[in-house]
Amino acid sequence: MSDILAILFASAGFDGATQGILGEGRRLADTLSCKLHALIIGPQNEPMNSSVAAIADRVIAVDQSEISEYDTEPYLCVLVAVCKQLSPRVALLANDTYSQELAPRLAHRLGGSAVGDVTELKSHLDALRVTRSVYGGKAAAIIELKRYPAVVWLRARAFAPAEMRTERVAQIEKFTLDLSGDFRACIIERKREASGATRLEDAQVIVSGGRGLGGPEPFEELRQLADAIGAQMGASRAACDAGWVPPSWQVGQTGKKVAPGLYIAVAISGASQHLAGISDAKVVAAINIDPDAPIFKRCRFGIVEDYRKVVPLLRETLSGTKK
Amino acid sequence: MNIVVCIKQILDPEVPARDFRIDSERREAARGSANLVTNIFCENALETALQFRERAGGRITVLSFGSESAEDSLRKALAMKADAAALVINDGHPHPDPFAVARALAAAIRKIGDFDLILVGRESGDWGAGQTGALLAEELGVPCVNFVDHIDSDSDGLRLKRQTDAGWEIFAAKPPVVVTITNDEHNVPRVPKTRDVMMSYRQTLTKWTLDDLDTDAASIRAANSYYEIVDLLIPVKETQCEFIEGDSLESRVENLARRIQEVTDAL
Amino acid sequence: MNDSQATREVFWNITQVWAMYALLVPTLVIAGFGFYRRVRVWKRGLPLDRTDRPIERIRKLITHALAQRRTTRDTSAGIFHTLIYTGFIILTLATTVVFIHQDFGLPIMRGKFYLYFQSFLVDVFGALTIVGILMAAFRRSIQRPKKLVYTDEAAMILAVIFLIAVTGFLVEGWRIAATSDPWGHWSPFGYLIARASGPLMSDETLKQSHAAVWWTHAVLVFGFIAWAPYTKMAHVAFSPFNIYTASLAPVGASLRHIDFDKAETLGVNSLAAFTWKDLADFDACTECGRCTNFCPANTVGKSLSPRDIILDLQLFMRNSERGIQNGNSALRTPHSAFNSPIIGTVEATSPDALWACTTCGACMEACPVFIEQMPKIVDMRRFLVMEEADFPDTMQEAVTSIESRGHPFRGTSLGRMDWAEGLNVQTIDQADDAEVLLWVGCGGALVERNTRVTRATAQLLEKAGVSFAVLGREEKCTGDPARRIGNEFLFQNLAKENSDKLNRHGVKKIITACPHCFNTFRNEYPQFGGNFEVYHHSQYLARLVDEGKLKPEKKSEKKVTFHDPCYLGRHNDEYDAPRQLVKIASRSNPIEMKQSREQSFCCGGGGGMSFIEEPPDKRVNGERARQILETDAERVAVGCPFCMTMLEDGINARKGERDVRVMDVAELLWESVSADVRG
Repeated sequence: MSDILAILFASAGFDGATQGILGEGRRLADTLSCKLHALIIGPQNEPMNSSVAAIADRVIAVDQSEISEYDTEPYLCVLVAVCKQLSPRVALLANDTYSQELAPRLAHRLGGSAVGDVTELKSHLDALRVTRSVYGGKAAAIIELKRYPAVVWLRARAFAPAEMRTERVAQIEKFTLDLSGDFRACIIERKREASGATRLEDAQVIVSGGRGLGGPEPFEELRQLADAIGAQMGASRAACDAGWVPPSWQVGQTGKKVAPGLYIAVAISGASQHLAGISDAKVVAAINIDPDAPIFKRCRFGIVEDYRKVVPLLRETLSGTKK
Repeated sequence: MNIVVCIKQILDPEVPARDFRIDSERREAARGSANLVTNIFCENALETALQFRERAGGRITVLSFGSESAEDSLRKALAMKADAAALVINDGHPHPDPFAVARALAAAIRKIGDFDLILVGRESGDWGAGQTGALLAEELGVPCVNFVDHIDSDSDGLRLKRQTDAGWEIFAAKPPVVVTITNDEHNVPRVPKTRDVMMSYRQTLTKWTLDDLDTDAASIRAANSYYEIVDLLIPVKETQCEFIEGDSLESRVENLARRIQEVTDAL
Repeated sequence: MNDSQATREVFWNITQVWAMYALLVPTLVIAGFGFYRRVRVWKRGLPLDRTDRPIERIRKLITHALAQRRTTRDTSAGIFHTLIYTGFIILTLATTVVFIHQDFGLPIMRGKFYLYFQSFLVDVFGALTIVGILMAAFRRSIQRPKKLVYTDEAAMILAVIFLIAVTGFLVEGWRIAATSDPWGHWSPFGYLIARASGPLMSDETLKQSHAAVWWTHAVLVFGFIAWAPYTKMAHVAFSPFNIYTASLAPVGASLRHIDFDKAETLGVNSLAAFTWKDLADFDACTECGRCTNFCPANTVGKSLSPRDIILDLQLFMRNSERGIQNGNSALRTPHSAFNSPIIGTVEATSPDALWACTTCGACMEACPVFIEQMPKIVDMRRFLVMEEADFPDTMQEAVTSIESRGHPFRGTSLGRMDWAEGLNVQTIDQADDAEVLLWVGCGGALVERNTRVTRATAQLLEKAGVSFAVLGREEKCTGDPARRIGNEFLFQNLAKENSDKLNRHGVKKIITACPHCFNTFRNEYPQFGGNFEVYHHSQYLARLVDEGKLKPEKKSEKKVTFHDPCYLGRHNDEYDAPRQLVKIASRSNPIEMKQSREQSFCCGGGGGMSFIEEPPDKRVNGERARQILETDAERVAVGCPFCMTMLEDGINARKGERDVRVMDVAELLWESVSADVRG
């Protein structure tokens, strides 16, 4: 009744978010002297399973035809069933689309409470207290959960991974559940956009473009720069709303909250709603023609210049193609 | 098709960080000189509903749970051509937790009557919990599809296109269903016509108190059974920007490249 | 022979003169009908009073109709127009003299008057008219400036008046030859013709030719009179009328008030929604093209052309009357077209064109007959914004921001009082006995660069010992951008709210560094109960210097040019106060750009245009930056927060060429009066 459950998607693999969940789960379990369970849901993959097994105390795998691909209602059924069986006090998830949509419903079905986008967890007396940023990153709230289990989704890259044990590796237990049911909403078509291999939230380096680019074409230029330094592409809300790039690129309070080591903002003025999305970025650099652009207030370094002059030159310099 | 769009009035999220203050007594943002605006995702939701109505017909009711001032948001929704508006006046906790909000909304929706499609914004620009839609669906016992940016219907029911981290997915759903709406290039909220703004002040707007609803009004007023804000603070984050200098454009860009290289090497 | 007996026989050699009188009747009927049918259309427009203050109107008539001050600004057109115009006047006077002499039986056409005026002057001016016509023809056929409209009608008019003038000389010359007129040499050009034809033609041929050409001349003249009201020659009558009924208010006060309780449609999308004066404006157009020539948007290659708006709507109006078919298919409109949509039916009224207007008023300043082009553009914008909610996204964002945040600058990271950090500036709550209110404006408070101007202004006021206060967080947009974009509803709400607020605080005097706020307070708020003594900061500061309350100590060596803000200069006729400040603060007089003062070229930021992303190759600020860089000025002085950002951007975009610093006049003055600022 006091254990921790890490809810992991097999499809995500042993990515940064997964490692963060396991890391924080391990830490919490050790602090509370309880067990860390891990649920891996979906078609299993061996390398991930063995890594998870080297951190969690118990690993449950659910892998059956009904859930070979993500679909909200069957996945929710799996989570509810497993949680009912394990009765964890805290369930941890990542902050991807799927986790965010499952967590509050899982909490509701278990009679618990959910909280998301958390950057810190603490046990306070008997309760769980979490920290999350609110008001678009302008404030941080400390929230005490009142109902348990607590279902918490964690902000990517906010938590350190755990060390893997070499001994006492957990066994993988396979659960098979009855998932027959009349689901009134189901996914009938899936499309992955070719935008990038890594999720924006997990990206180490992001090159992001804004309204100042003036149209979709300059993003090609940025893409070449991004490729040269192995970065992911992002964009401001203005650029997405204008339809220049897909909405999945959007960084900001109303888009993705990212936490890269380096965020390069090109022709982004830095409206507060955009800054809210990069509040966890370690280093922000900006290329902007306007020295008064608010983005410079958030920058470690920047250059006041027309991006059209800087970007091609910068790409050449960084990719070493410059004579 | 009966469509309910839930909208929330919030403190202007674009209030500059330098003007942002906290009312530590109430553990919420101080109003200061900031304005109240409709949460942007709620406007995206209304826009999505309006476009869906243009294609498939139906009736749109906008619903809000909030203070008296939320009437402005509802009037604006009427000006955007929602068919009806209802306000559940919150006379309890000033910032109720998402569970309390979901219960209040669910009770109001049941009072409105038949519903096929309920749209909510994916999260709010103030607390940003991102849970209202999911909890509302559970309260009503219907499915929930998140991050939707486009709604269509055919003979089998609804077709919901939603954004995922990597791309998009399409759901087939039988109404009733709760949908949370995210923004994309197509659901940028329309600007109401001035004539409709003028007209919206003459339209009727239903107001309920929690006691008018069939729900546990007292626990909604208390609003702390789910979670409670125990502290609210402004994180200290000051950065001094180093403006890259140099004799020529080339040397400046070279300096910039060096700084970038230093950072990426350290990652 | 004695000069005092000098005269000539009026109808010499002409028989059946009655035929001419008979011809006069249909001529006047046809001409009269031509005017009548124009006036008949105007009467369908909405009412408007333009007959008040007759003295001022007559004064305007003298300056602009009689003396044609604006026509003559354009030198080449000015010369030939003056030649033709004065020729017409003199010749008409001469005809009148004949009329009085012959038909009234008052023998005035004799003696010295006959010789000096009726012979010499008329002859010379007739010749000058021909010179003018030839110049016009040369311009129209060889030079072909872009601003003109090339129609067959225009060519025909020139041909006909040329023929009238030439036949006139032939009649005169052959009469002199045939009658051996002893005073013939008093008409030098006619005399030359007489001398030239005398040896070639017999007396009989002269007489016959004279009679034939006389009748040709008469028929041409009558034909021309009958035809003129149906052509642009109608401007001979319409122009003075239009000038007499022109608005007497400054350009800044030219937008129409909408009564929301009564208005059926908001804004204008049909001829029926215009006032009679708007309709009269369409007919008054002389097709001179000055408005389009001076239009900054047109200059940089945008589709806006005030001339085409007026002319296309003129054609639209005429077709709506006649229901005739015309070459332009979009204008093939039936009678009911008076009520049918006008926006987007032709390129001139396309939304693209309407959303290119900076409301700078250059068109109105350029128009020799005082057509009000800009308010019509705003009228159509109003329809798009208020009835259709169809306008550019970024403008929508600005309007929405004004609506919900009280300022148009979405995403600003500044607060209303950040500019005052470290200064001892009091808000009106703290200092309710303050003598003047410093209205900071959204630009002055929320755009980083302009906060420095606000600081300079406040510091100057403080140094001069002026007791002033600001509204602080209570301040809200005056509504200027909303009004110019076309959201009159939002503007009126703001105007009422702000007027009430200022009255509540007992504000009497307002100083502002923003000419848009200045114009709104000065020209637009009185309608909403806001009656204040309003100063642009340049005016107030210039006065403080005059009164010795500010003592400039240093003069900058830098060469400065001054860019007139449209809303201070053209809209409110203040050109000197800011120049005075420039002069005080620098060693030399300001350098004047080719386009300055009344004919200044907009920065591109007015009319909500600073909230639009312009294509890089069609930027008004780019063109103005080019004009600035053309001078050898090291600094460009401005007096408007919009000009500040637009010109900085424009100059930055041309950074390679030369660096010119944009500075507000208050900053220049502060530099000059304060010892601790770098010079």
